[in-house]
Amino acid sequence: MSAPSLLAAAKAQARRDLRLVWRRRGDAAQPLLFALMVVALFPLALGSDPQQLAKIAPGVLWVAVLLAGLLTLDSLYRGDLEDGSLEQMLLAPVPLAWLLAVRVAVHWATTALPLVLVAPLLAEFLFLPGELLPVLMVSLALGTPLLSLLGAVVAALTVGIRRSGMLLALLALPLFLPVLVFGAGSVMAAAQGLPWAGALLLLAAGLVLALVLAPLAAAAAIRIALT
Amino acid sequence: MNPVLLWFHQLGSPPTFDRFAARWTPWGFGLGLLGMAIGIYGALFMVPADYQQGDSFRILYIHVPAAWMSLFVYGLMAVYAAIALIWHIKLCEILAMACAPIGALFTAVTLATGSIWGKPMWGTWWDWDPRLTSELVLLFLYLGVIGLNAAIEDRRAAARAAGFLAIVGVVLLPVIRYSVEWWNSLHQGATIKLFGESTMDASMAWPLWVMVFATKFWFIGSLLQRARADNLERESGKDWARAAAGVPR
Amino acid sequence: MSYLEYVIGAYAVFAAYLAWDFLVPRLRLARTRRNIVQRARREATRNTGVVE
Repeated sequence: MSAPSLLAAAKAQARRDLRLVWRRRGDAAQPLLFALMVVALFPLALGSDPQQLAKIAPGVLWVAVLLAGLLTLDSLYRGDLEDGSLEQMLLAPVPLAWLLAVRVAVHWATTALPLVLVAPLLAEFLFLPGELLPVLMVSLALGTPLLSLLGAVVAALTVGIRRSGMLLALLALPLFLPVLVFGAGSVMAAAQGLPWAGALLLLAAGLVLALVLAPLAAAAAIRIALT
Repeated sequence: MNPVLLWFHQLGSPPTFDRFAARWTPWGFGLGLLGMAIGIYGALFMVPADYQQGDSFRILYIHVPAAWMSLFVYGLMAVYAAIALIWHIKLCEILAMACAPIGALFTAVTLATGSIWGKPMWGTWWDWDPRLTSELVLLFLYLGVIGLNAAIEDRRAAARAAGFLAIVGVVLLPVIRYSVEWWNSLHQGATIKLFGESTMDASMAWPLWVMVFATKFWFIGSLLQRARADNLERESGKDWARAAAGVPR
Repeated sequence: MSYLEYVIGAYAVFAAYLAWDFLVPRLRLARTRRNIVQRARREATRNTGVVE
């Protein structure tokens, strides 16, 4: 019996992952609420002066989305590890990297994409100038998949470790830095009237590279962590 | 068989490595200390004071070698890790993990001396200068490797996972460095040459080179010592380890 | 302005880090040797205690 085609395997994996997320669809709201809370922390800590908040809005929004994404990384493999399906994926006739790519895509679509869609609402809370919103949305649309892909590699390394949440965050944050710098930086540049497209193009280039390399690296990392 | 290759393979045997490390560690430390004595004497007493910065620039003679070592050790750690992952050589796993704390120490020295140098220069203990910021991120990368190695119980699996992280880090290090420099240019306008060491007269440069070589020798001594300790601990149950520890037969 | 304290401070920090780098592995090596000897002693008594 020949191995299933890549497309068939991808569809099956996606269908399974989406079904699992649907069963716990209440959990999908948690990253949104977390990001909202983080956004609310800043006016509460710094004062509600609209001009001051507008100045820090791009950075705060990016940090809120980044931290929310960081916290969801733990759930990327944990369910599969605990019920043994991760090992099944290892043994599947389809390349592990392909299955992981689909896994990360579903994870991004169910945890990060809602955040990106809700970003305009969060931006209002921080009085972000309207003309910066398109740049912010593009930076988030390019940056959040990149964060998911980078996070998938680091999460794969810690997959066997118990209570690895904090360690995972510490390992992933230095690798997230360039994404944060270019993502938030593009919006800050636009706010100052400086050229902002270059940073976004760099993010796009990074995303293309990560789409190819990150699943391969994550697959290698899973093999290292599980054997 | 090629004698170099033969020697390399023999070195992979734990008892052989123990003897090798025991023999060469004192040389590494000794030559390192001697070099540092010469370099520091030159840096403190023989080099004239800088026209702009007075005597505080003498900190450069520690700060710059430490910074170069912090980068060099990270690269070496990634190379050892890659060899260990590709060819499953246990000794390279041990060497890679032994590099991490030494590199972290040099990075900490770079940050501390940079901060101490900065106080008379800028008036503050810290500045988000792109180089110091990149060093800080490098420290986090080192601590991540050390932390991951410590978090996994099986020593070989831990070294492989942490080694993989080191490789991912080394690939992303230029990206991180570039992003920090871009960020700095965005927020501070023109980049200021804060440490101004680009043009340095030869009469002032020689202690720097002495220190660069001295720190390399120290690194070799420290690497061998740490690798030896790790090697012995991993092989604690073996007969050769007992003999080496002095268990009476 | 006297930079003397800063220069001394920086070199002292360097010396402290070198001392740390030198001592920590030596202590670990000594501890490992102690553990090996103690473990060998424990296993020796355990074997002689077994009555076949």
